[in-house]
Amino acid sequence: MTRSEAIAFALNVGVPLFLLVFAYLVGSFLERRHFAQIEQRERQALGFVVTSFEALPGSWAATDATLVTGSVVVSLDYFKRIIAGVRAIFGGRVKTYEPLLDRARREAMLRLIEQSRRAGYDAIVNVRLQTARIASARGGEGTAGVEMLAYGTAVRLDTGA
Amino acid sequence: MRFEPRQPDASVNVSSTHPLTEASTLLVGLSVLVAALMLVAYFSIELLIRVVPAGTEANWFAGLSPVESRAPTSDAERAAADLLAELAAQWPDAPYAFRLEVLDDPTPNALALPGGLVVISQGLLDAVESENALAFVLAHEIGHFHHRDHIRQLGRAAAVGLFATALGAADGSTVGLTMTDLTMRGFGRAQEANADGFALGVVNEHYGHVAGSWSFFERLIETEGDRRFAAYLSTHPASAQRIVALQEQALGQNWRIDGPLSAWPPATR
Repeated sequence: MTRSEAIAFALNVGVPLFLLVFAYLVGSFLERRHFAQIEQRERQALGFVVTSFEALPGSWAATDATLVTGSVVVSLDYFKRIIAGVRAIFGGRVKTYEPLLDRARREAMLRLIEQSRRAGYDAIVNVRLQTARIASARGGEGTAGVEMLAYGTAVRLDTGA
Repeated sequence: MRFEPRQPDASVNVSSTHPLTEASTLLVGLSVLVAALMLVAYFSIELLIRVVPAGTEANWFAGLSPVESRAPTSDAERAAADLLAELAAQWPDAPYAFRLEVLDDPTPNALALPGGLVVISQGLLDAVESENALAFVLAHEIGHFHHRDHIRQLGRAAAVGLFATALGAADGSTVGLTMTDLTMRGFGRAQEANADGFALGVVNEHYGHVAGSWSFFERLIETEGDRRFAAYLSTHPASAQRIVALQEQALGQNWRIDGPLSAWPPATR
């Protein structure tokens, strides 16, 4: 192997390897931090009624209702992309995607709840979750990211006061 | 019904496997898979060499040229083509119809392409100091055909292609093998040594001595680091070791290592 070939090989292998390690370190740090934050916010949101009922329970009397949405767009880091790519050869649970989508789902729900609570609503009914793939710029091939959308009807209840 | 505020169970939707465990399991699995596929590729090529006659191989690749070479036009180029034909006559039962084509490139280089096509660069014709040196380079390329390095090369390229495609699948990009990839990677060190050995025999038969055979290598060593020779070196690793091997072969066979060199470019015939 000539020197230029050796340098080319080192670059071809070294750069992706560096990216892999770097993406793993940064990605897992950010993920841990996000999960910690999500758990703390979920504790604060505890007690706020969020249901998937399509209609209000008969005993509730709403004085105001509005559509609320919580949306998150997530994308993959290099580490998750590569590992999921290898997983795609063998098949099975794509374990590196699971925490990513879990974060997106819970973050979208928290955004839904937090804005409803700030606006003075008491509960959200008919909550739905929906995803949409966002195509990347290059010819629509590949995925730039996934949107996780949570929406529902926020209601203000007549507490009889 | 009473409403009881509860935190959802966060563990159900996320596998507990550590990402690094997942990564190492998958990468080890991929390596095993790739190694197995490469082994299969290697053995099927060795099988192919035994099963497919060289003539059939020549038919497969006849007319295919991955480089933009052209038929010889100048006197020197035609003389080189004649020289190739004379050298090929030392291998009478060759299944290949050897052709010589010229690449308009100032860097000295020579390639053996499937189907009996030998491509030399304009730069090689300018760089050689004697006909004997050119003869050795041409005979070396014939040697690659003799050992059927092309089919081996095909196997190597297929194995490399498998690996690249496996990585490509992981990367989300598509990797296609081109004819150039298949043929332009250069041969392995052992294949070069075998071709050298064959070439020395051919040159000895042709001239009655092997003088001048390694003069081109000596020039390469002198000019090592000279960028003009980088192309030839990338496909033909040149080293003092190669010269030593040739000299040992000549001594072992009792071939004359000195003799009259034929002039290059030849006087107009």
